[in-house]
Amino acid sequence: MNTLKTLVESIWDQVDMVLGWHPGYDPLRPVPAFVRDRKDIASLIWNPLCAPNLSVYLAKSFKTPAHGEKKIGILAKGCDSRSLTALIQEGLVDRHRLLIIGLPCPGTVDPEAVKSARTQSGPITGVSFGDGWVELMCSDGVERLPLDQVLARRCQRCRHPHPVLYDVLLEDAMPRPVPKDPFAHVLALEEQPLEARRAFWLKELERCLRCYACRNACPLCVCQDQCLAESRTPKWVTQKDTVADKFLFHMIHTLHLAGRCTECGECERVCPMKIPIGLLKEKTAQIAMELWNYESGTDPVARPPLLSYDASVTGL
Amino acid sequence: MERETAMKSASFVSHADLPGLLVRLAEKAELWVPAPEDTAPHRVTFKPFQAGMAIDVQRLPVSSAKKLLFPQGEELLRFRTDKSASDAAMETVLSEKTTEARPTILFGCRPCDARGFVVFDRAFLQGPSVDPYYKARRDINLVVSMVCPGPDAACFCGAVGSHPADTQGSDVQMIPVSGGFVLHALTDKGQELMENLASAPSQAQEQEARQVWESVRRSVENVASLKDSARHFPKRFADTAFWRFHTERCLSCGVCTFLCPTCYCFTITDETDGVQGQRLRSWDACMFHHFTQEASGHNPRPTKAERFRNRVGHKFSYFLEKHGQFACCGCGRCLRHCPVSMDIRAIVQAMGETEEVHD
Repeated sequence: MNTLKTLVESIWDQVDMVLGWHPGYDPLRPVPAFVRDRKDIASLIWNPLCAPNLSVYLAKSFKTPAHGEKKIGILAKGCDSRSLTALIQEGLVDRHRLLIIGLPCPGTVDPEAVKSARTQSGPITGVSFGDGWVELMCSDGVERLPLDQVLARRCQRCRHPHPVLYDVLLEDAMPRPVPKDPFAHVLALEEQPLEARRAFWLKELERCLRCYACRNACPLCVCQDQCLAESRTPKWVTQKDTVADKFLFHMIHTLHLAGRCTECGECERVCPMKIPIGLLKEKTAQIAMELWNYESGTDPVARPPLLSYDASVTGL
Repeated sequence: MERETAMKSASFVSHADLPGLLVRLAEKAELWVPAPEDTAPHRVTFKPFQAGMAIDVQRLPVSSAKKLLFPQGEELLRFRTDKSASDAAMETVLSEKTTEARPTILFGCRPCDARGFVVFDRAFLQGPSVDPYYKARRDINLVVSMVCPGPDAACFCGAVGSHPADTQGSDVQMIPVSGGFVLHALTDKGQELMENLASAPSQAQEQEARQVWESVRRSVENVASLKDSARHFPKRFADTAFWRFHTERCLSCGVCTFLCPTCYCFTITDETDGVQGQRLRSWDACMFHHFTQEASGHNPRPTKAERFRNRVGHKFSYFLEKHGQFACCGCGRCLRHCPVSMDIRAIVQAMGETEEVHD
């Protein structure tokens, strides 16, 4: 049995930095940490509230290595390890630059679900976890909630709670069991008549602010500052705030991720308006499985089906 | 602490009479209230009032109410390219926007939201030019706030020169007392509304209201002001290492600015469709790369470090210098809903924490 701290200590000499999580302003919201000083290893934490997918920073902030740089250590839950794998597959991150610390994942907690489920109202001052439960400390006393009741939607349907790619593995955690039908949420929506589905998306997307948190938190949305959502020359989408314009943006986002999305659910987690935007990407993941028997981010040497264009092939 | 607005008159509304009051207000103007979302009742947003709907004045709405006075997308004019009457050339015909502003009442917001409009007023009404679109809406808008039912861990109104019973920006302030609310009219507009709406409070009710107000006001007395740290901004400006360090986890999205009651930056675009189109003013965010992208290709704020520095500078230094107050009401939405909990309070505090300035 190892612990997160001993594990990070054991690889410290090989890395320049470790990407992990440390406590934030609110016990329900740990934040990404960029540990460059050995003494800060002690501040790292790992629990079901460590939701942010840290692979988002790799292609965006640490793409080019400085000369003689050591590796980047990165903590990765199952879903995060799929994002890392997809980045490696697409040549956006060099596998040899990474030292992946795998974390078998019990599922992450949605702070919104906690707010909804708890019966007390005082500010939460501390959180602890046990086998299948989460315990909240507040001025009114202690309240225990079943983990299943407060899990993020992405975790309820997770197929890979165990990291698919890692260099070292944390041993003291039990991954969450894999559900029978990971596409149950998509299916439930699809079973509804067209008009009901249309009404559902109009109601949900009407709330969209076009803040682009979903795009910026996506580890595979790597166009960033060149995104066509904001490009003026050429101009592809308008600045209008009608639901049709919002829908168009989300469709573009979804299609650019088709066959690439690793279903980490960050787009949905970060949405301030809580639009279940992950459903759109889950549908494309389901199509990729049916069409090509392909599951993105599970094999670092597999070629993504929509990235197989070869300019030298003529006569198409 | 800024001066409080003096109370002009007082009324009492019982819990039972509140729905009736809302119906009467809705007859006078477009009424917006904080209401729970049907699928997630713990999430409250500002919605147009409908008789019989549930309202929730206890929880802070997710987004601010700024869209009432500053819509996310606003048409400024329409244009159309036609054949010229005088010669064979094409000419573009412009038609100004003709839609009239509608009277609005924002009911049951918190004092921080009301105070957000004070910042808007300085930018849109009290600068070198008056924004006619904002002014048209503001002139016929009324704000009925309620003293804050309680802060959460992201709230920091006490640190920015405000407090949870702040009267600034409100026309009427509601104070919860046993059995209902005491309403204080604070402006002429508020007074006008009160005159034909409710009955006067008893002496005991008015006394209770004053006690509640005072205790809510004092609840943040021990919160440290950000003023001392904020004055270090000019010195920190060129400290690149400081800004890189503190903004490393930022995702550069627009959650903070779009939810903020005091962020008023916008962009103007021509949205064309064939030979016609509209000139649109829409919310923009200084966190976006495109915000300062110049036509030459140069961008003076190329990374999130420069962009976040600007957000801090605008809210806690430039605006303060120009208008004598922070462009921040401490509602905490920027932190509460940030995907990675970027804590602007902590960054402002850190500016003053050490005299040492990085190279």
